[in-house]
Amino acid sequence: MLDIRDLEKRWLHYKIKSYIPHAVILISLLVISGISFFIFDSSSDLQKQTNQESLKEKVSTIKETQKIVKIKPQAIAKEPQITMPLKEPSHPTKMTIEPSLSFMKNMQSATSPYYHETNNYSIPSKKKKIIKAKPVIEETQDVIVEAKEKVKEIPIEKVNKISIKRRDTKDDIAEIITRFKKNNNPALSLFVAKKYYELGEYKKSYNYALITNQINNEIEASWIIFTKSLVKLGKKKMAVRTLQTYIQNSHSSSAQLLLEEIRTGKFQ
Amino acid sequence: MSSSIFTTSKDVFLDVVNHKDYVQLDRVSTIYQSLKDSIKKPLKMILLYGKPGTGKSMFLTKLYNDLSSSQIVHLYQTPILDESEFYKTLAQDIFSIKYSGELNFTQFMKIVNKSDLGSIPVILLDEAQLYSDVLMEKIRLLSDTRTIKFVITLHKTEKEDLIAKEHFQTRIWETIELENSSPAELKIYVQKKLMKANCFDTANMFNKKSIHTVYKFTHGNYRDTNKLLYALFDLYATYEENRQISTFGTSQVPTKLIEMAAIHTGLINA
Repeated sequence: MLDIRDLEKRWLHYKIKSYIPHAVILISLLVISGISFFIFDSSSDLQKQTNQESLKEKVSTIKETQKIVKIKPQAIAKEPQITMPLKEPSHPTKMTIEPSLSFMKNMQSATSPYYHETNNYSIPSKKKKIIKAKPVIEETQDVIVEAKEKVKEIPIEKVNKISIKRRDTKDDIAEIITRFKKNNNPALSLFVAKKYYELGEYKKSYNYALITNQINNEIEASWIIFTKSLVKLGKKKMAVRTLQTYIQNSHSSSAQLLLEEIRTGKFQ
Repeated sequence: MSSSIFTTSKDVFLDVVNHKDYVQLDRVSTIYQSLKDSIKKPLKMILLYGKPGTGKSMFLTKLYNDLSSSQIVHLYQTPILDESEFYKTLAQDIFSIKYSGELNFTQFMKIVNKSDLGSIPVILLDEAQLYSDVLMEKIRLLSDTRTIKFVITLHKTEKEDLIAKEHFQTRIWETIELENSSPAELKIYVQKKLMKANCFDTANMFNKKSIHTVYKFTHGNYRDTNKLLYALFDLYATYEENRQISTFGTSQVPTKLIEMAAIHTGLINA
């Protein structure tokens, strides 16, 4: 006869003992997951906070810029309410306002004449600068026109000096020759060739026209000076052949005219 | 279900070596057939080994009962540890010579050489690991004469493996290992055993789950299974006596009862 009660007690003990490892594993898993969730949650909260802060900053910055942008039409509409962004001097995003204000100054200085009355910024000086710049641009444009639209990279200073071309002295030609030797600009050599031709020094004009052709053989003026110099040097046949060759390639009308003049004897 | 079914089922699993209780399993039957075939071969010695409770003693008993009708076979389930007594017992059983005084190995060898039995007697020695090394050496010498054939069983432990190596490595021509059953074999074993005793209802109570629970505690060892199931049916019988059997029902064996039986038999340390 078995002692069933004792056996049942022992069995209960055994069952509890057998469930202990499972319970321990389960509890530890729960604890670990709880802790990890808490850590994750708190870190995400922190991240959210920082994100929100940065977002707030961004939003405020955006708001400020929007305000400034909104001012543009106001300024254009010539309403003297330009000082709106300056109404909040205690705002933490002062730094972001400053560049916008400078932008405003530029805008206003460029567009609104009323701005001078309401603002104390030194816009007139900036305006002066801009006005100064304008003639420079015009000058360069003029110079480019003088160089027959092919010398685009000529510096402004040089062009300014070229503007003294009307003085037909040999010293000036020598100065241009030295500058030509420095930068090898075909516009300069062509200029020299023309000047020598005008001075009647055809050999030199022939040489400089040839040099110009060697640098750039598509300049019509250099071909014409070259052939004219040849004719003046008594090499009419050579001039005709040179012009014919050039006309074949370029179909230049002025070269054609010159050829006719040489053939008919109008140009001697 | 009659009140005696659990008691009958309990008695089925009494740990007694009886050739009638031998359960025919496929794998075991193959091993048994190979053992029977080995007896017919001119082998000096046959070693049957395995862990305790794998059915070695049952094998020897079954072999003894099967061979006794056709040839001279003697089974010694309990080891005869005294050397003189061992020789005297063999002389009496094999050659029918009753020796009153001390009988030593030399005298026994003289008897063996003089005898003419016509066929080689088979001596089945169970629990051979209990014999002394000296006596085991004498048994080896006796088997070398080819006048007596020995079938011995050994427990498979590290120590017994050493004995097997040292004493029998060169002489044993046949070694047969017995192993624990698989879960499927265990189910067949339990149900066949119960059905042999006409306990069909209790045999049907064992499903796959309950057999796996039994296997978890016994690892397919026949002796442990017998012990566990004996305790299980003892529990059933007790609950029945206390009129508490309805708590569990009789359709299947609950895990709780198997665990309680395992606690009772010491298979669970609770």
